[in-house]
Amino acid sequence: MAFEGGPDKLLFSLSPDKKIVNISGSCLSYFWPDKKMLVKLKILIGLIAVVLLNGTAFAASFTATLDRDTLMLGDSATLSLAFEGGQPQTTPTPRVPGLQIVNSGNSQNFSYINGAMSSTVTVTFSVTPQRAGEFVIPALAADVNGQRLVTEPLKLTVQTAAAPSAAAVNSGSEIAFLKLTLPQKKIYSGETVVGQIELCLRDDVQNFGNFQFSGTPADGFQIGKMAQGSNRRTQIGNRVYTIVPISIALTAVKSGALTLGPFTANAVVVLPSQNQGGDPFFGRFFNQGEQRQVSLTSEEISAEALPLPNENVPVDFNGAIGNFSLNVSAGPTNLTVGDPVTLRVQISGRGAFDAVSLPTQNSWHDFKAFPPTAKVETHDQFGLQGSKTFEQIVSPQNADVHELPAFSFSFFNPDDGKYHTLTQPATPLQIHSAGSTVLPTVAGNKNANSETPATPKDILPIKENLGTVTKSSAPLISSPVFFAAQSLPVLAFLAAFVCRKRADNLANNPRLRRQRAVAQLVRDGVNDLRKFATENKPDEFFATLFRLLQEQLGERLDCPATAITENVIEEHPILRTAPKATLDGLRELFQLCNQARYAPVRGSSELNSVAAQFEKVVGELQNLKA
Amino acid sequence: MKTFPAIFIALAFAGNIFAADVAADFTAANQLYAKGKFSDAAASYEKILQTGAVSPTLFFNFGNAEFKSGHLGKAIAAYRHAEQLAPRDAELRANLAFVRNQVQGVTQRESFWQNWVGTLTLNEGAVLTAILFWLTLALFSARQIRPTLVPKLKSATWIFITLTLFSGTVLGLQAANHFSAACAVVTTDNATARSGPFDDAQSAFTARDGAELSVLDWRDGWVQVMDANGKSGWLSAKLVEVLPGA
Repeated sequence: MAFEGGPDKLLFSLSPDKKIVNISGSCLSYFWPDKKMLVKLKILIGLIAVVLLNGTAFAASFTATLDRDTLMLGDSATLSLAFEGGQPQTTPTPRVPGLQIVNSGNSQNFSYINGAMSSTVTVTFSVTPQRAGEFVIPALAADVNGQRLVTEPLKLTVQTAAAPSAAAVNSGSEIAFLKLTLPQKKIYSGETVVGQIELCLRDDVQNFGNFQFSGTPADGFQIGKMAQGSNRRTQIGNRVYTIVPISIALTAVKSGALTLGPFTANAVVVLPSQNQGGDPFFGRFFNQGEQRQVSLTSEEISAEALPLPNENVPVDFNGAIGNFSLNVSAGPTNLTVGDPVTLRVQISGRGAFDAVSLPTQNSWHDFKAFPPTAKVETHDQFGLQGSKTFEQIVSPQNADVHELPAFSFSFFNPDDGKYHTLTQPATPLQIHSAGSTVLPTVAGNKNANSETPATPKDILPIKENLGTVTKSSAPLISSPVFFAAQSLPVLAFLAAFVCRKRADNLANNPRLRRQRAVAQLVRDGVNDLRKFATENKPDEFFATLFRLLQEQLGERLDCPATAITENVIEEHPILRTAPKATLDGLRELFQLCNQARYAPVRGSSELNSVAAQFEKVVGELQNLKA
Repeated sequence: MKTFPAIFIALAFAGNIFAADVAADFTAANQLYAKGKFSDAAASYEKILQTGAVSPTLFFNFGNAEFKSGHLGKAIAAYRHAEQLAPRDAELRANLAFVRNQVQGVTQRESFWQNWVGTLTLNEGAVLTAILFWLTLALFSARQIRPTLVPKLKSATWIFITLTLFSGTVLGLQAANHFSAACAVVTTDNATARSGPFDDAQSAFTARDGAELSVLDWRDGWVQVMDANGKSGWLSAKLVEVLPGA
């Protein structure tokens, strides 16, 4: 493989017999070196181009469609704008008062039919009516491939949801409908009743799904739990319907006129397909069905909520409505002033347990009452049948109390329209004054013989011993002094570490060791010299002086002290770098030492001056680089 | 080196400084309690605490008096104060558990590790860690001063290093818990937590007397709290007593 030719004409040679002239021709001639093949290829390309041009030259169109022309208020329709054979420069957005039209997406579709290729761009809008009535989506205009295209206006009818008429139901024309019933039209305010809404499906409905309430208006009712019952079939008019019952707990929350409904819902039902021909017998088994979205509306029901009677209202009535029974227990009954007594009140029966609360007992003024706990256990799916159990801790406040007073609970029974009061008799108590009785069982006491731990019934008593009292202060770890104190062992360790390093350093350096030893020797020697000078002992003075000179010079010159003589001053290379005054001083000191052996005895003052001269010379020597 | 003994001397004898002053008031409060005058006893204990004197016994008795007066939240707050001073007091733990059982609704509880690190007070943890730290560094110093002791001190050094690191970690957890995991105890019957730190904000949830809540934030007399169910809201600081972590 090689490149040939100049920069403006590259010839790319793959093999000696295949030459490439230009880029397009070169590639084609490589794959189809035969000229006839090349001609055929050109014809094919020409055909493809004709087909493509044919497709693109297809006349563009712009259409607007609605997926339905009638819908219920609350539902939505889909508006589709389809541009076939081209793309619009801008997509028009329809604006119609009373209709909320929101773009919900774009899609593009390509098709090739009988040699003609076409592309379709579809823009969809969600159309949600804000009121009932007749609407017209006006003609929409768009520029497609330079053409000005206009759609046809579209009509949309929006109807208010309404229950089907009895005639329509009886005629069997309704595929599905809702039926709302109340067990009674007169109820008491606060009373809970179970209403029923029935979803009726015509017998030809093969299946249904996506059932969803879209509106559950209830003026004066509080809607509680819902529960679906068992399906049943019944004849309505000319057709058999499947009934799907849904029970709803409804509580009247005000007195006066109440209205319930119309409930609205949406569902998808599956009906036998009308477009699958063939034998009706086999169609029954093999008909796949046709899904249809249905909007359902129930009728509106009126009811009346009666206020609770004002006569014979018990003093302790606190809003409980239903039919209840009462069970009260209390314990322990032998206790000390201030000890807790657990009062357990169980209210059982049928009614709105949410509204049942523990009544205030006015005669319990000798007791301190703690907030009660409540636990509801219901046995039905609406929470209306069951029991509510209260536990309340009360503690006697003085030793004069002898009983837990009678407990009463009042409720209104809507079945007979009367108030009822249930009373539990007083419970005798033995109350001891604080400190005069045995302490109650406590959590902290451990009895080795008991197999199960004792359940505490009260707190442990107060402590008599005050114990350690301190001034309130911040924790130690937020004290700077505490943190500073922690640096002391660190500093001690660092000091020990430095000492250790210095000792190691000295042990491994004999010259340094000798330097320090000689320095110490000189310091001691100078003192001796001063002493000998004062005592006028010239022999000892000069002997010491000579020895100190030997030691200091030996250390500086790194040679034995005994090998040091006056000649060393002239001969040793290190001393040649010393200042002349120092060397002169050394010579003079050596000469003085020599002279002392022969010269007469000198005075103290002269010895002191020699000692001073020695100190000066030694100082200069110690500064000399060894 | 004189600082260290001084700290210990201060710790050992500081407890007796105020004992003489408060002993008489304490006895009087105990007598009120014995007579069943729990509210008066609670007020007396609180008066002593307002002088700045603290003692686990004082908080314990104060908690008892508040409980007997029907104030669960204040009792729990007092017991938790006492717990920070005497975390291993069995009677205190029993009373705290009993009162907590009386609280209605959801409430926060300490996690296992919070209970575990709470076995020591923060000061006990700090002193223990300091002692171990000093001993460890004393061993290090001895190894420097007397290198011949290094083989003999090797095991002891490692043991003390391990103990110091462990104790330091526990202290770190204690400090994190103390300074960051603050808790609010509701001290009124029904405290309505709001969605914002102002009175007109929408109600978020209601906490009952004695409910313990995690503190998330503070702002202008309002405390942002979160209950055990993860609901958060703002409570007026007047409705709660805020405690540091255990």
